Amino acid sequence: MTENTLESVLSGVRVLEIGGGVAAAFAAHFLAGYGADVVRSEGPEDALTHDEAIYLCAGKRRIVAAGPELRQLALAADIIVEDGKPGTLAAMGLDPNGLRAEKPALVIVSITAFGQDGPYAGFEATNIVSFAMGGLMSLTGSPDREPLLTGGNQAQYLGGMNGFGASVTAYYGALMQGEGDWVDISLQECAAGMLELYGPGSASTGAGAQMRMGNSVRAVWAIYPCADGYAGVCALERQVHALFDLLGDPMLNEERFRDPFQRAENDDELQAILYAWFAQRTRAEILALSPIHKVPFGAVLTPSDLLASKNLQARGFFDSVTTPEGVARMPGRPFEGFLWTMGALHAPGMDTEAVRRDWIAGVPA
Amino acid sequence: MKKLPLDGIRVADLTMMWAGPYATRVLAEMGAEVIKVESPRSWDNIRTLIPQPGKDDPWNSSYYFNDYNRDKKSLTLDLAHPRGRELFLRLVERCDVVIENYRADVLDKLNLGYEVLRQARGDIILVSMAGFGKTGEERGHVGFGPIIEQMSGLASLSGYGDDGVPYKTGISYGDPVAGLAAASAVAMALIKRHRTGEGTYVDLPQRETMSTMIGEAFVAASLRGEGPQHYGGRSPRWAPQGVYRCSGEEQWLAISCRTDGEWAALAGVFARPDLAELSLAERRRRHDELDAVIAAWAIEREPLGAMMQLQGAGVPAGRVLDSDQIHDDPQLAARGYWVELPHPRMTPWKQPSTSWRLVEANPQLRRHAPLFGEHNDEILGELLGIPGVERQALAEAGIIGDSPINPGVG
Repeated sequence: MTENTLESVLSGVRVLEIGGGVAAAFAAHFLAGYGADVVRSEGPEDALTHDEAIYLCAGKRRIVAAGPELRQLALAADIIVEDGKPGTLAAMGLDPNGLRAEKPALVIVSITAFGQDGPYAGFEATNIVSFAMGGLMSLTGSPDREPLLTGGNQAQYLGGMNGFGASVTAYYGALMQGEGDWVDISLQECAAGMLELYGPGSASTGAGAQMRMGNSVRAVWAIYPCADGYAGVCALERQVHALFDLLGDPMLNEERFRDPFQRAENDDELQAILYAWFAQRTRAEILALSPIHKVPFGAVLTPSDLLASKNLQARGFFDSVTTPEGVARMPGRPFEGFLWTMGALHAPGMDTEAVRRDWIAGVPA
Repeated sequence: MKKLPLDGIRVADLTMMWAGPYATRVLAEMGAEVIKVESPRSWDNIRTLIPQPGKDDPWNSSYYFNDYNRDKKSLTLDLAHPRGRELFLRLVERCDVVIENYRADVLDKLNLGYEVLRQARGDIILVSMAGFGKTGEERGHVGFGPIIEQMSGLASLSGYGDDGVPYKTGISYGDPVAGLAAASAVAMALIKRHRTGEGTYVDLPQRETMSTMIGEAFVAASLRGEGPQHYGGRSPRWAPQGVYRCSGEEQWLAISCRTDGEWAALAGVFARPDLAELSLAERRRRHDELDAVIAAWAIEREPLGAMMQLQGAGVPAGRVLDSDQIHDDPQLAARGYWVELPHPRMTPWKQPSTSWRLVEANPQLRRHAPLFGEHNDEILGELLGIPGVERQALAEAGIIGDSPINPGVG
């Protein structure tokens, strides 16, 4: 049975996850943490890596089901989240339009690389293909080298984040109007609509494509090597003077650095000052200056650094999940304001009987 | 016609820059009425982040501002002025949601914290999106999207692998990620209000939200003490994978072989049957050599044709679309993804439509981003019942306005 209490916002909400790649599993991961009864119908064995499965499957009930039984489960759900290629649901006897006709309140969220229609709908894609086709990759990496893939599985996680939001939004619509919907999410579109100023800039000015800029958009918006790793600064005009005061170089009082237009022409010189300044300081020393001087400094922290953070521990950020290899500590709720509980990690298929009993016992097929 | 899910929901939007406006763009796409509130003295710097020398009222003609603020209404109101604050609280009475992404201390300094808003409307939903949360010893840190990416652990995972250098993503990646989560939080809070009648105060720490996008790296660190590894374009799971230069300037193709079958198909495209039988272990060991074979093939080809040929053979492949080419991509065109909206100051350009395509409710872009203070009369007059004479006095006192009091560089 579910381990969530009545106080959870989504308690009693039934979610069926099908396909089980990163995108669908991540969307349903948040639904599970906020109290939904998430049932994961296992996809291919290699849909997730070992570590992804620990992070994304905890708190879910895991079943093996197919055919008419899976269809019964689908009709017993409030929300279905799936990431199979277009046509996969229909081939399983779960045509979305048919399910929607039979149960109008049902919400179906489909996450695919290119969307349900169009000439590329049937194309094969992995994370790097989606990162490339969404426009993010062309902007990432050093201008002197090939475009770079950001770490992890960002194109797919973006699909999951969008899938989560679309799930709860469409479910709210179903609560208010009695009608759910089928949401068609394309990983390419998830990225193509968030190209910061570069997407709209190229579209509206005719200036051509934005070349990738590595770690230095400009001297005051960059990552630098520091005494014990890497750290960064992102100063807008209103913060530049406070940054200059910290750098303490009298040359920065000159008009060619004070004036934003002239500063752009002297960016290399300013960068040299910043390289020297960062090199003399540790990440902790640099971070300590941020709240005092209201200058946006950052440090490149690793997951281990964050797991050791007293602040994140005090904020109760991390979930702990028992695995056969020990206790995994991992990111918890994406935001505070609702009860979040991360349940245990179940083995694939172990909940098939229980879910059958809870969701469809006595329901005519 | 079927209604959008957030039909009838009104949002007082105090957000600025990118993270918050991205959230409220999504809320508007889903049918909410979003009222963007800026002070004539302290307004959304995105309006003028890109200088437009010689342009009249440049704050109304920024493509950057427009892409992320369409479908919203604009109300200018000086919240630091007692009368402006009082009018804002009257607006809150008529809103379901207030959302802000100020620095952590700002809303309380305006005396507009959750408890104050609740007095105006008992079931109000407040979403705060400070970079490092509203509590804890790091709450005073300030940061934009790239800072969030560094502090979340993600930047430590990105790199070419041969120089140890971590990399940022080419956009302020923390911003839209936090924005998506904030839009989700609003729906969660509306569900809670529907079930319990209660409002919610959401504290959305952008750095923690970002860390949820790399959960498996925390599993690896906590179970086995593994630190970040940089893979460049390669995959820790399968091989070969990478990004390869095509003919033409800065043209690239991403190729990824997950299985023996996909690899055999790729080797077939190269007419290299001698390589077709390589196992995954062998493909990993000889990755450099295979990269050279793929590179020699790709450099002779333009990227669209090469992609189509590989997809035709069943091999995952995709162009590295740049910020220009993506507006001409056949797939996005066929899906009607780009929409040109009329604008009173600007020539229409291709703007992205929603990525949450509700097949039946079919959300459409409705309107360009508002001009500065464009809806002052509608909101103050029609919604709050402030007479014209009084609105005139507010304008003269600089509490409302249709242009910034302090225009300048963002």
